[in-house]
Amino acid sequence: MAHQDKEVIYGLYDDETDLLKAVKEAKDQHLEIMDVYSPFPVHGLDPILGLAESRLHIAGFVYGAIGTLTAFLGMTWIFTKDWPIIFGGKPYWSVPAFIPITFELTVLFSCVGMVITFYIVSGLGPGVTNDYLDDRITDDKFCIAFDMSEVDGAAAKSFLSDTGADVNQKII
Amino acid sequence: MNQYTFSGTAKTVTIGAMIVGVVSMLLTWFVGADDLQSRFWSNFLHNSTFFLGISMMAFFFIAVCITAYAGWASVFKRVWEAMSANMLVGFIFMLVIALTTYFHWNHLYHWADAAAVAEDPILNGKKSFLNPNWYLFGTIIIVGTWVVFGRKMRSLSLDEDEDQGHDFAKHRSMRIWSAVFLPIMGFSSAAMIWQWLMSVDAHWYSTLYAWHAAVSWFVAMICLTILLLIYLKSKGLYKEVTNEHMHDLGKFLFAFSIFWTYMWFSQFMLIWYANIGEETTYFLLRREEYPILFYANLAVNFLIPFFVLMRNDTKRKLGSLAFVSLLVFIGHWLDFFLMIKPGVKITRDDHGHMAAHGEEVVHGAAEHGIHESVASSFEVGYTIPGLLELGTMIGFLGLFFFVTLTALSKAPLIAKNDPYLDESLHHHT
Amino acid sequence: MSGHVSPIRPPLVTGNKTYHQITEDLISPTERVPSKAWILGLILSVSVFSFGAFCILWTIWNGIGTWDLNRTINWGWDITNFVWWIGIGHAGTLISAILLIFRQKWRTGVNRAAEAMTIFAVMCAGLFPLIHMGRIWLAMFIFPYPNTRGPLWVNFNSPLLWDVFAISTYFTVSLLFWYTGLVPDFASVRDRAKGLRKKIYNFLSFGWTGSAKHWQRWEYLSLILAGIATPLVLSVHTIVSFDFATSVIPGWHTTIFPPYFVAGAIFSGFAMVLTLMIITRKILGLEDYITIEHVESMNKVILVTGTIVGVAYLTELFIAWYSGYVYEQFAFFNRAAGPYWWSYFGMMFCNVLSPQLFWKKSWRRNIWLTFFMSIFINIGMWFERFVIIATTLARDYLPSSWSYYSPTWVEIGIFVGTMGLFFTLYLIFCRVAPVVAVAEIKAILKTSGNQYVGPDAQHQHPKDVKVESEPNHTSI
Repeated sequence: MAHQDKEVIYGLYDDETDLLKAVKEAKDQHLEIMDVYSPFPVHGLDPILGLAESRLHIAGFVYGAIGTLTAFLGMTWIFTKDWPIIFGGKPYWSVPAFIPITFELTVLFSCVGMVITFYIVSGLGPGVTNDYLDDRITDDKFCIAFDMSEVDGAAAKSFLSDTGADVNQKII
Repeated sequence: MNQYTFSGTAKTVTIGAMIVGVVSMLLTWFVGADDLQSRFWSNFLHNSTFFLGISMMAFFFIAVCITAYAGWASVFKRVWEAMSANMLVGFIFMLVIALTTYFHWNHLYHWADAAAVAEDPILNGKKSFLNPNWYLFGTIIIVGTWVVFGRKMRSLSLDEDEDQGHDFAKHRSMRIWSAVFLPIMGFSSAAMIWQWLMSVDAHWYSTLYAWHAAVSWFVAMICLTILLLIYLKSKGLYKEVTNEHMHDLGKFLFAFSIFWTYMWFSQFMLIWYANIGEETTYFLLRREEYPILFYANLAVNFLIPFFVLMRNDTKRKLGSLAFVSLLVFIGHWLDFFLMIKPGVKITRDDHGHMAAHGEEVVHGAAEHGIHESVASSFEVGYTIPGLLELGTMIGFLGLFFFVTLTALSKAPLIAKNDPYLDESLHHHT
Repeated sequence: MSGHVSPIRPPLVTGNKTYHQITEDLISPTERVPSKAWILGLILSVSVFSFGAFCILWTIWNGIGTWDLNRTINWGWDITNFVWWIGIGHAGTLISAILLIFRQKWRTGVNRAAEAMTIFAVMCAGLFPLIHMGRIWLAMFIFPYPNTRGPLWVNFNSPLLWDVFAISTYFTVSLLFWYTGLVPDFASVRDRAKGLRKKIYNFLSFGWTGSAKHWQRWEYLSLILAGIATPLVLSVHTIVSFDFATSVIPGWHTTIFPPYFVAGAIFSGFAMVLTLMIITRKILGLEDYITIEHVESMNKVILVTGTIVGVAYLTELFIAWYSGYVYEQFAFFNRAAGPYWWSYFGMMFCNVLSPQLFWKKSWRRNIWLTFFMSIFINIGMWFERFVIIATTLARDYLPSSWSYYSPTWVEIGIFVGTMGLFFTLYLIFCRVAPVVAVAEIKAILKTSGNQYVGPDAQHQHPKDVKVESEPNHTSI
């Protein structure tokens, strides 16, 4: 991610109920919120912010399906074409005995794939350092941030102080 | 509207269904019957155990929710209470089976035939468990206990409506009754399933059998709950039951369908893998002679709920939920069909052989399964459910709903003093 | 959701905590200088582990002959320990996944430590099959990869290979699940730290900012992973049980094994969580987060799973008689009345009878009794595996080869060594990461804090947020 300096004005709230009210208020006033930060997932925030539903589950399904096919087709090919062996008088293509590994690989592909996808699309991962606004956000403060280039600075400032926030500015 | 009145179409339809059932059963008795009336009795056993199990599971789930502090379902717990009223009906039906077995008026069980047991060392060894006395008294004591617990819980729940205090004394009392019921149910349901169902194949045994059958009951119970709630909502009742609750029921249907498949697979795979003749005969017979039911069982009870309910929106739409519930309900009914009928058929055929050839009976389930049955012919009512089976099922289903709706109309739909009600009304998945 | 909590729910966070106080309480243990008790514990654990490592080297150097395995008893303490550890390793994912799906909020107090414990237990478990192979330097042969031997493939039809897949999948998924849960908490540690410490935690926190979109995805991911991990957790012990149940050995080949092993695993896992948490809450002063309610809930799970295991034992016993199959009947007679009768008795007594004490509420809430019982149960669960493995193998079809088995010092040393490894890892974990999930506790504070719910609530329910949201679709 190319780094460009942004001037950000942000307000810190003490409680998630204040945050929710403020976000709603900002939406009503058509102030473009850059982002909202919180120490834990705040329930009811996503719909107000208008965040689209995550599509991770679709990715998970696709990865899982790839896992299923890899395992099942792989074992089928190995035990019917490449190196057939007889065990316990069963047919070469012993579907019930393939189920456990097929299941495990489905889960493995799906989970590993989803986790990697999550980190990539969120821009997180080992060695990543993202600029963050305030140390207290991971403690007990709830933050609404505005990008100064997108909103009127004065309006944002008065909005934040009106809704009871502790207002700060920072360049990230 | 907090009160359901049971009248009009609902009454007509359920009574109509019961008439269909009675006619089907009469037809089974008089037309196309053999002298043992095995088709009639096995249909009776099939539906009695199936619906008794469903009503017991409804009660079991109430007990589980109370014990686990699960409050989300409080708003419609009266539906489960009403469903568990059917335990009494099931008790009476199972009593009929037990008594007719006791007096040898049916020939469902190979072990009930004293002459056959005497010359069969395996059955002789099981005599102290598989005998008409134990069958009768076990049924009376165990199902009787379930009924007692069910009625106690229902009366506590009704008392709670009158309870103005805020110490939740009634709820605390329910918690004790629930906790005590759980281990009782855990032990006793297995014992009953062995006697009622597993002993149909008198030689065969599997330790997982009882749990598999119990999960089948549970899934069918969830299906009927969903269908009933959708019906009540269509009548404008239970507006408080939102998509959130339906979503959770959908999740239960989804999760327990997978769990049922797990049970099914564990039992099947282990027997298939070890390949011991005494055990494989059970599945070999079903796979070779009942291929459609055998695979349909998996398709309907696993693939359909899995793929349809995997998405969130299908769990929230009443149409898709109703569709899956109906199919899966029938699927589990077929699962029970597949558990009962092949064994009954062999028992009946053996009896015929015995009459015809005297001593020429082959002992041991292995031989039964492979040699004799493969040669036997396709037979509606045994190999596949016929119209009479369907009619009988409709009759039992009608009775089930008749009793449930009657019980439901006797009390307010919402238990207003339930301590979890507020949570349940504001439930979000 | 806040404000609609049943009045009979007990609070799960006590002490009138504020968000800041939670951060302070949960993160400060990682910032303090280690206490003497901790250092002593670490020295002890590392010493025990070193002895175990020595015994492992001894085994590898001299061969499996240093164990007392014989003709019929070819699985002894090694596989017993393997199954025992794997069982313990079930509680973490169970608490995180199944309890998350069933919305049992008390899981937040213990899930982090339980998940860590899971990972460490699986590591201990994985060790045993590896050294039991004998030639550990060829261990990579268990994975299917193109090779110059044909390519000769592994036998995908073997339950032992299923184990390889199940355990490596389980380990990977548990690790990802646990670490992803830790990321926001590492960010909390980072934001309080200075200097090198800040750099380290900055790396560990993967650049977490607390953005709403990240939280949304994070919650979503946790929920889906939980959904998938639930059948995974069942599958792992199921597949371990297949190692036995696919055979034709009387006493092993029984269809109830899969769910019965799973119930036993949950049972022993919860017991181990209790053992650890009772010590941890005391030493780190976390009584406000891991309350008596948590202990009681876990004791209830122990009672339930102990009874399920009891139903399974009796089912096995009954069906063995019912089967009319003499070998099956003998296998069970031999368990109860054969040379290893004491292990069968230990199993029945510790696993089925003793948990019944927990029917009494005051005993469920008694810390000392719970601690004692939690150790007792794990002894019982060890006996269970020993009964299944050694007792069964000691009496096979051919009476002339019947034998008896007792472990050598090497086998005992390896087992004790894995405990050393387990506690070493756990002690390190307590120092570097918050033992209780910080963000998750904050998220349940308003529905479970004692100032909001329960008998001491101050009835200052958070002002009802009038922005009743659209139902959130973040569920599986």
